[in-house]
Amino acid sequence: MTQTEPVTAQIRMWWQRVEIKRIVWIWLGITVVLAIFALIVPARVMGSPASPTMRAVESTMTIFSVAAAPVMALVLSVAVYSLTGWRSRGSEPPIGDGPPIRGSGRVTATWMVVSSVLTMFVLIWGLGEMQSLSAEASAPNAMVVNVTGQQWVWTFSYPQNGNVESDQLYLPVNRPVVFHVTSKDVIHSFWVVEMGIKVDANPGEVTKTGVVPDTLGTFVVRCAELCGLLHAHMETQAHVVSSTDFAAWITAQESRAS
Amino acid sequence: MGTVRVYLKASGAVAAGVLVVVLAGTTLARAGTTPGLLNATVKGTAQTPVGVLPHAFLELATYPDSLAGEHGPDGGSKPDWVSYGPTTNLSAPAHSLVTITIKQYDSGGTITNPYFASVHGTVDGTMTINGQTATASKVDAIGHTFTIHAMPTNQDPLFVSVPLRALPDNAKPAPGSSYPVPNVVTFSFVTGGPGEYVWNCEYPCGDGTYANFGGPMSARGYMSGTFTVA
Repeated sequence: MTQTEPVTAQIRMWWQRVEIKRIVWIWLGITVVLAIFALIVPARVMGSPASPTMRAVESTMTIFSVAAAPVMALVLSVAVYSLTGWRSRGSEPPIGDGPPIRGSGRVTATWMVVSSVLTMFVLIWGLGEMQSLSAEASAPNAMVVNVTGQQWVWTFSYPQNGNVESDQLYLPVNRPVVFHVTSKDVIHSFWVVEMGIKVDANPGEVTKTGVVPDTLGTFVVRCAELCGLLHAHMETQAHVVSSTDFAAWITAQESRAS
Repeated sequence: MGTVRVYLKASGAVAAGVLVVVLAGTTLARAGTTPGLLNATVKGTAQTPVGVLPHAFLELATYPDSLAGEHGPDGGSKPDWVSYGPTTNLSAPAHSLVTITIKQYDSGGTITNPYFASVHGTVDGTMTINGQTATASKVDAIGHTFTIHAMPTNQDPLFVSVPLRALPDNAKPAPGSSYPVPNVVTFSFVTGGPGEYVWNCEYPCGDGTYANFGGPMSARGYMSGTFTVA
């Protein structure tokens, strides 16, 4: 193979090699399997989304997984064929390696361009998603909820609703919420899985994240930062209710506190 | 034949490795001491907001050291750590009214999260301190708390948190005792179906550690434990 040969001629020449054909077929097969896996499994593992944020997280995971499928398949197909087709058989080791490929500008350029396109796609997609998430956290009509983590419980207060406090999180459906998150002791991480939000709770600092819960139901709030003896038990519930039910809950909490 | 032997040897090596890990794990697990279980004593029935239920009682205490609880009269390896007693593994019957009395022998200070200065999850949201009904304790006079976590599992939710008023720093030992006269805190709550819960103290009482949440606050058998509803 030389730089002066046309690309089509080089490809035709490669394709005449039986091992290349086999590797390509293996690559195609693994790519299909991985792509199907990427389309079905990651989103299912992450559960039913309860917010646009979580839907964005799941679609990002799915698209990134599909994009990674042919790359991973290429590595696996070459590895599989190396372990089987190019395996040295017999009791004696091979005399030496095959001839190395050197000086192929096209191979190098193809590798760099494909890698660059893939990484730029991941970067631009990720920045776009992060921008949309930060927009939710700064919505002007957002309800503020102060979240406090401590070993090994969560507490929530509602400064716009008479500083009502609770050990469980109550949110009105379809209203933007901004969480002001802090810790009383060590570092925790406030994580509502189905809503796709997770942010560290640092002692002495306030971190923010936002979400628009759009699904009625009860979800799990957990700590995602190993924080000590009962870290595994640092869980509570997040209830997404109608605005009427939320107002009734606030009223009930206020009357109980007075 | 040679290939088969290689695979057999490799499989044997993997199996031996697994066996070693399993043996080490089970040995270490059995080496740990499990505090004794304190079962609530049922004495008759009681009227509750959900009807007439069996009435069970538990008696606990919080000490400024580990000399009177489950660690023995010498206090075990950390005799100066604060502790609950007589044990930290508790059990109460399901669908019952549970009344817990805690004798609080320790001093204290300001709780970091005022939420836990209030009573949560008890019948009527109240407790009694030395016979006086209260819904909270002063945030700057908390010795400890008794807080059962509301784990979001398939079991019935159970969240109870009660502040335990601190004794003065200069409280003198009562006659014939190495501890002062305690604050006696009593509260009641209703259990649901069977379940496994955990409880711990939410007042940072691990003096000398980061944020006072280390030491006895981060070790089993001192300021945390299990609460089994059976």
